[in-house]
Amino acid sequence: MTVLVEDDLQLTLPSDWKGYKFDNESSHGLSHCMKAVDFIIETEDKFYFVEFKDPDNPKSTSESRKEFIEKLQSNTIDHDLKTKYRDSLLYELAEGRAKKPIYYLVLIGLISLSETDLMIRTESLMKQLPVGGPRGQKWKAPLFEGCVVMNVATWNKHMLKMPVTVSAT
Amino acid sequence: MSKINNIKLENFTSFAELDQTFSTGVNVIIGTNGTGKTHLLKVIYASCAITIGEDKEKSFAHKLRNVFNPYEGRIGRLSRRQKASVRTRVIISREGNARLSAEFSNHTNKPDDVKVTGETSWKKDTLASAYIPVKEMLAHAPGFLATSAKREIAFEEVYADIIKRAFLPKLMGPIDRDRQRLLTALQKALDGKVVAKGEHFFLKNKQGDLEFTLLAEGMRKLALIWLLIQNGTLLGGAILFWDEPEANLNPALMGEVVEVILELQRLGVQIFLTTHNYVLLKEFDLRQQRGDKIQYLSLSRKASEAVTAKASDSYLGVDPNAIAETFSNLYDREIKRSLGVNEG
Repeated sequence: MTVLVEDDLQLTLPSDWKGYKFDNESSHGLSHCMKAVDFIIETEDKFYFVEFKDPDNPKSTSESRKEFIEKLQSNTIDHDLKTKYRDSLLYELAEGRAKKPIYYLVLIGLISLSETDLMIRTESLMKQLPVGGPRGQKWKAPLFEGCVVMNVATWNKHMLKMPVTVSAT
Repeated sequence: MSKINNIKLENFTSFAELDQTFSTGVNVIIGTNGTGKTHLLKVIYASCAITIGEDKEKSFAHKLRNVFNPYEGRIGRLSRRQKASVRTRVIISREGNARLSAEFSNHTNKPDDVKVTGETSWKKDTLASAYIPVKEMLAHAPGFLATSAKREIAFEEVYADIIKRAFLPKLMGPIDRDRQRLLTALQKALDGKVVAKGEHFFLKNKQGDLEFTLLAEGMRKLALIWLLIQNGTLLGGAILFWDEPEANLNPALMGEVVEVILELQRLGVQIFLTTHNYVLLKEFDLRQQRGDKIQYLSLSRKASEAVTAKASDSYLGVDPNAIAETFSNLYDREIKRSLGVNEG
């Protein structure tokens, strides 16, 4: 069983799934020129690119929290998220690994976000990514299948096989 | 002038039993269709309307009949529909212990047969009020009052009432600072002032006079509020009933409408409104300032059972929140579509 950790969030994978920290200087090695999503998870038939944003994390300063909320309100967060996805995808394509449909999951650890806010964030991110291929056709190689922005509660409601827990510390 | 602070309903329309206390500020009533939101507004409005103006001649039972306009004018049709005979009771209380009640059965036909108590002392103190129905009426004012007086059209009386209030002349004397600020803010949103020529309303600005039939419906709503403030209908101590303020309103204007409602509350107007709109509800949540009094009342019912009510002082405490649940359901379906399947 694999447990992936980012700050105070732990993501537990079922035993038949593979997952690793992708945004890791020693293994990624190209962080000076390419952005990276936090984790890449491989199931039997798909990849999940996972990004955690956790301004509610106890370690985050009030300054970083404020900065995050400003990003969220100004929609610049979508630009960050888009870049992380694209660069991670490019990296995986070049390594010859991206051979299954890819889904992008973003978890925002802000308790105050309502489901309406999350839906608006999901739609807004989706507009930045190529849902479907050219001329209404599917891409020949996997590029992007779909994305969802969730908080801890909605993640645990929909991603039953890989629950997220928030550590008490 | 005093505020309405409680209503008790027994077997009235969709309510089997309701005993509800109100905020002296804003009362936001939500619930799915058929839960009796508008009924609640109308029954309280009827009690206010009979304390002032020409309606003072009417009994509570007559006014009740006229604002609901049941088939053949039979007041018994306002009783909760049951197989057996039912007794219906309406008791409205206001500050200062005044109480007005009406009692009838599903067999009662004429308003004169309704047992009304407390009416004389209830009418001693006036309760200025305005009821804004969902359908915008100012554009249809010409000829409406005359036709309605002849009972040639089957409109509930709230429609004629709001036109009459809009026609009231401008309040004489100086306008205090708070009201002036509110009028100026509305004028800015409207980009003009409202003038009446005979029975026709116009929006007057630099470009000239624009008749209401050519004005966007959302703007007509703001214009109506402007008129009611300008002519002194909505002063401190008055009560405003507003059925679905969001109807025909551009969501971008919702914030201004909520701000006007909150400002009126700060000036001492008690407000009862119904809504189906998430943006409106959320605007109240986000714009509420310390000292603002807002009560949310959620009406709900299971299948054909009677309606139950649950009150909350905060937006997050609204339960059930039919409006947010609709969004939540959309979001769940969006996740399922985006992920192809539910990972569970």
